[in-house]
Amino acid sequence: MLLVPCPNCGPRNAADLSYNGESRPRPDPQTCSPEEWRTYLYLRDNPSGWLVESWYCSSGCRKHFTIERHTLTGELRTPILPGSKPGATKGSTK
Amino acid sequence: MASSITHIEPMPKASVRAAADTNAAAALGLTFGSAERRGDTLVVRIRPDEWYLLGDGAAPMVHGLDLTGYASTVDITHARHAVRVTGSHAAETLAKLCSADFGDAMTPNGAAWGNSIAGVTCDLVRDDHNGERSYLLLFDGSFASYVLRTLEDAAAEF
Repeated sequence: MLLVPCPNCGPRNAADLSYNGESRPRPDPQTCSPEEWRTYLYLRDNPSGWLVESWYCSSGCRKHFTIERHTLTGELRTPILPGSKPGATKGSTK
Repeated sequence: MASSITHIEPMPKASVRAAADTNAAAALGLTFGSAERRGDTLVVRIRPDEWYLLGDGAAPMVHGLDLTGYASTVDITHARHAVRVTGSHAAETLAKLCSADFGDAMTPNGAAWGNSIAGVTCDLVRDDHNGERSYLLLFDGSFASYVLRTLEDAAAEF
């Protein structure tokens, strides 16, 4: 079982959350090129190591947040709510 | 059966969504994940920016709120159903269907949290009655018959 530390709810079973995938900045659709937009939509880095991901606490606080996950070990760290700083929330104690 | 399962309908219910800096949030108070009885109404801060008002006093309490700023309220009386699980084996019954820790250290009386019961997204409130362990479950009404049958099946062994 993967325990995901939600910034609001604390450690939760991953089954209680929804995985949104790799977190990346959205380019401005008005100014970016078709290649940049395609890269944003379809291409993923898929690194072997730390990856910043987006999760949604669907059964708990119903908030989106980002977290770093090591894709080899499954270790999780630094959960952050949008607009807040690391370490300011409940789940960051892990 | 050492735990009783009661479908509490109709019970007036209201949801209040309010940003942290609003008068409504200040009036309702509570810390995220806790509940408190105020007269005949159970006030639950179920999410960082959402409160449930449960009971006959829900409507008057909503009418008394200052909803200026980022604050709104919705009557969820018929959208969400309430089931109460009470008894010495209430926690064991729910633990068969839910990943939460039902121990007193993690979920004492007055605790409130979102979780899933048998795969159904559900809000739970520990609301003991006369010293007897009791949990209030709130979930979408369309799942009511499934959740009730699953709870009865889980409680049958106790």
